[in-house]
Amino acid sequence: MTIAVGAPAEQTRARYPDEEGYVERDGVRVFYEVYGQGEPTVFLLPTWSIIHSRHWKMQIPYFARHFRVLTFDGRGNGKAGRPMGGTAYTEAEFAADAFAVLDATRTERAVLVGVSCGALWGTLLAADHPDRVAGAVFIGPAVALAPPHPERSVYSFDDQLGTDAGWAKYNRHYWLEHYEEFLEYFFGRIFTEPHSTKQMEDCVGWGLETDPETLIATEEGLSACGLESFADVCSRVRCPVLVLHGDEDAIRPLAQGAALAEATGGTLVTLEGSGHCPHARDPVKVNLLIRDFVESLERRTPWSS
Amino acid sequence: MELVSDVAREQTRARYPDDEGYLDRDGVKVFWESYGEGPATFLLFPTSPISQSRLWKAQIPYLARRYRVLTFDPRGNGRSDRPPDATAYGSWEYVEDGRAVLESAGADRAILAGLCDGGGWALMLASTHPETALGVAAIAPYVPYLTPGHPNYAQYPFEDPLDTDQGWAKYNLHYWRRDFRGFLEFFFSQQLPEPHSTKHIEDCVEWGLGTDPETLALADEEAPLPWRSADEAQAVCERVACPVLVVHGDLDGCQPRERAEAVAALTGGTLVRLEGAGHLPQARHPVKVNGLLRDFAESLAPSGAAQQRWTRATKRRRRALFICSPIGLGHAQRDVAVARELRQLVPDLEIDWLAQHPVTAVLEAEGERVHPMSAELANESGHIESESAEHDLHCFQAWRRMDEILLANFMVFHDVVREEPYDLWIGDEAWELDYYLHENPEEKRATYVWLTDFVGWLPMPDGGEREEFLTADYNAEMIEHIARFPRVRDRALYVGNPDDVVPDSFGPDLPLIRDWTEEHFDFPGYVTGFDPAAFADREKLRAELGYRPEELVCIVTVGGSGVGGHLLRRIVDAFPEAKELVPELRMVVVAGPRIDPAAFPDHDGLEAHAYVHNLYRHLAACDLGVVQGGLTTAMELTANRRPFLYFPLRHHFEQNFHVRHRLERYRAGRALDFETATPAVIAQAIAEEIGREVDYAPVETDGAARAAARIAELL
Repeated sequence: MTIAVGAPAEQTRARYPDEEGYVERDGVRVFYEVYGQGEPTVFLLPTWSIIHSRHWKMQIPYFARHFRVLTFDGRGNGKAGRPMGGTAYTEAEFAADAFAVLDATRTERAVLVGVSCGALWGTLLAADHPDRVAGAVFIGPAVALAPPHPERSVYSFDDQLGTDAGWAKYNRHYWLEHYEEFLEYFFGRIFTEPHSTKQMEDCVGWGLETDPETLIATEEGLSACGLESFADVCSRVRCPVLVLHGDEDAIRPLAQGAALAEATGGTLVTLEGSGHCPHARDPVKVNLLIRDFVESLERRTPWSS
Repeated sequence: MELVSDVAREQTRARYPDDEGYLDRDGVKVFWESYGEGPATFLLFPTSPISQSRLWKAQIPYLARRYRVLTFDPRGNGRSDRPPDATAYGSWEYVEDGRAVLESAGADRAILAGLCDGGGWALMLASTHPETALGVAAIAPYVPYLTPGHPNYAQYPFEDPLDTDQGWAKYNLHYWRRDFRGFLEFFFSQQLPEPHSTKHIEDCVEWGLGTDPETLALADEEAPLPWRSADEAQAVCERVACPVLVVHGDLDGCQPRERAEAVAALTGGTLVRLEGAGHLPQARHPVKVNGLLRDFAESLAPSGAAQQRWTRATKRRRRALFICSPIGLGHAQRDVAVARELRQLVPDLEIDWLAQHPVTAVLEAEGERVHPMSAELANESGHIESESAEHDLHCFQAWRRMDEILLANFMVFHDVVREEPYDLWIGDEAWELDYYLHENPEEKRATYVWLTDFVGWLPMPDGGEREEFLTADYNAEMIEHIARFPRVRDRALYVGNPDDVVPDSFGPDLPLIRDWTEEHFDFPGYVTGFDPAAFADREKLRAELGYRPEELVCIVTVGGSGVGGHLLRRIVDAFPEAKELVPELRMVVVAGPRIDPAAFPDHDGLEAHAYVHNLYRHLAACDLGVVQGGLTTAMELTANRRPFLYFPLRHHFEQNFHVRHRLERYRAGRALDFETATPAVIAQAIAEEIGREVDYAPVETDGAARAAARIAELL
């Protein structure tokens, strides 16, 4: 596989957006897409900038037949800008981008769906704008409400290491030298399920649309997040919450998803045998779970308020 | 058509109320019942006093496992009063009765469900007291003036004498007074236009006979209507603020579809149209209606399960669910044998059992895993016992009168398999499973194997034309089910051989049972659950069991259901005389779990036990068996080549026709008629048969292995 210059030819989509555009904040543009026109709006949030909004490709065509779907490339990948410096990549910046996309698309209220880091800006958005968020789904949430996997705390991100074994690849120096190998390793840990070659290839391809320098900036931005106050953010979330978490998630332990469900009064669905991105690997089950959740919100709305 | 007498004994319910009582409004007593508890309350309105609260019998046991369920009898029928004044039957009175039931139960809000009139009353309550209504589920709602009524009612005047009583002319006061039952039979056959609805119609007629023509005329024709214009009807609907579910069958002969559509449109509700359904889908299509009510309630009051679990397909263990009929312990023994062989062939297979007492006693003794939801099953053996008289069990009618229990138990099964993925379901005469899967084929989500040892309902001679018609109707429905949905049964196994199938026909214009069965079943042979070769050394076996060589051992056993108490006592009465004829006689009576062995007299040489583990070993060791006409025990004796006397239960078509046919093929056993078998006759027969050499046709010993092999192929 060669490192692409610019975007490689995208494979044919099952569905193309009905509307698309850019939102600019402080000189940084993010690119959004709108599909379908049902009710309510399902807002598929970006995750870490290692991939872009195409990671929702298994959800968009299905949800767009039932709901209105909103998605955007988060800063740092896809058709979004790539500002330099960690301060451009805090969870507050992602949340503000998402809020701007809601406004730009005249979306009064939406159900949020976020994967991994998407849970950080998703919870922030739900906590700060309860009138705009009808419900939230978090898949494999990367939240510091429970300890990380021990093997991910062994190596320094910033120091030069004498090894590149395993998670030692999660290191800025390794990224700068061996970016594609890092991607392959990382997505191998995302997709712990057997027979996930296509899902891994997709993600590596999207990862190659950004660069190690940008990812280093996102890493700095996210490590600067005020995570110590995250529990407080969770306690301010009032909308119904659904958490999906694989019990073989090698990136973020199930305990983090369970803790987020508990902290938000949400429902936890444990996916036995699943890794970190079940929406890509077990899309039928995830689509149905999200659809049921969204429909239950619709039925609840008129008389619970 | 002969139906029930005016005050028929109520058939066994699948669930009885936890609380019941009367409330009094303006001197009118209204009888209510309360079942279960949960995160929400259902108030199930009655309908016009043409019926009773029992019309919800297919819903109550299911909903009450999750929610609190309140029902009440309408004023004019059931256990509620029958005030003699038309104004007491105005719609608002029923609405207020419902509100009073809620209040007295301490329920602030409820899901208000109703059928026909009851659907209208539920909407009226939600409209005028929105704080009481979490939601409204209205089946075929009657809302006067909202749309034109059903044309059926416009054909004849109600109060004028008519010169005809054909068709809807029966909806006439004078006809009601002449032949109220005839009216009810006509009316409900119109409201249940689906084929094969005999039992549902009988139920409705029975409930209708709980009132009388004068009361019904007061309530349905003379009571004041709640309003007099379409505008007022619309306004009531528009004021309903809660979520509304409307259900309507497109063959409804009472409420027009336009009315259901209007209710849904004006309330912003959802209309579910049931194609091919009549006016009473809650009775005729209970699985579908229960699912709709459950989903509706779940959306209104989420059960709040904070944790769920789903397992990726390829990570799942291989699992089977064995559903074992509790009627007769024989099924348990043979199913355990099949399960054992199946594990040999598919070693990683985990088998759970959905079963109830007394089958669970056998399963637990065998170390099998009984699914905990088994505890939710409504008791079938108790019902069968309640339907039996002295050595008499009209098993076809008893089975029909078990419809509520069968449906309730299917819903338990349905809950289990909604939550837990099984690869395989095996139903041994699990009638509820087989019937409702064919009625709701979309609910099939595993490989399904059906086992039975008889095919075809047969009429008893004294049942007359009605029973001939009914058995043929049930057979026809089964034949249609299988012709239309051959995919439901992945395999059907007849426990026996083609020659064991009776030579009769399914009924007029229906195929011969044997031809049809050979076409639709596999024949693994008889499944004994043991290997007779293991008992070839009878002397050793007798020594193990404590039977002395010089004793002539007579084992008396009548199965686990308790129906055989009278026979047991008759045989015990024969003991003294038999002992005189056969001085070496030792009689061992197995009373079963439902008959108290302490109730038998004390005689030297006579002993009684409640339960004997591995009874088949005792039967293999005995010198004579004395049994009912049940298949399993008779075939165990046949396989072990023991002489035996058997007494088919009166009116038990399976024992009188199917089993007897099979035993005659084996030249096995001596049938005695309970009517004529006095203790003296029995004593004489014991003396003639005990220890006799027999020339039975051999019984195969590999039935369980062959059945398991046919099942394992599907995994």
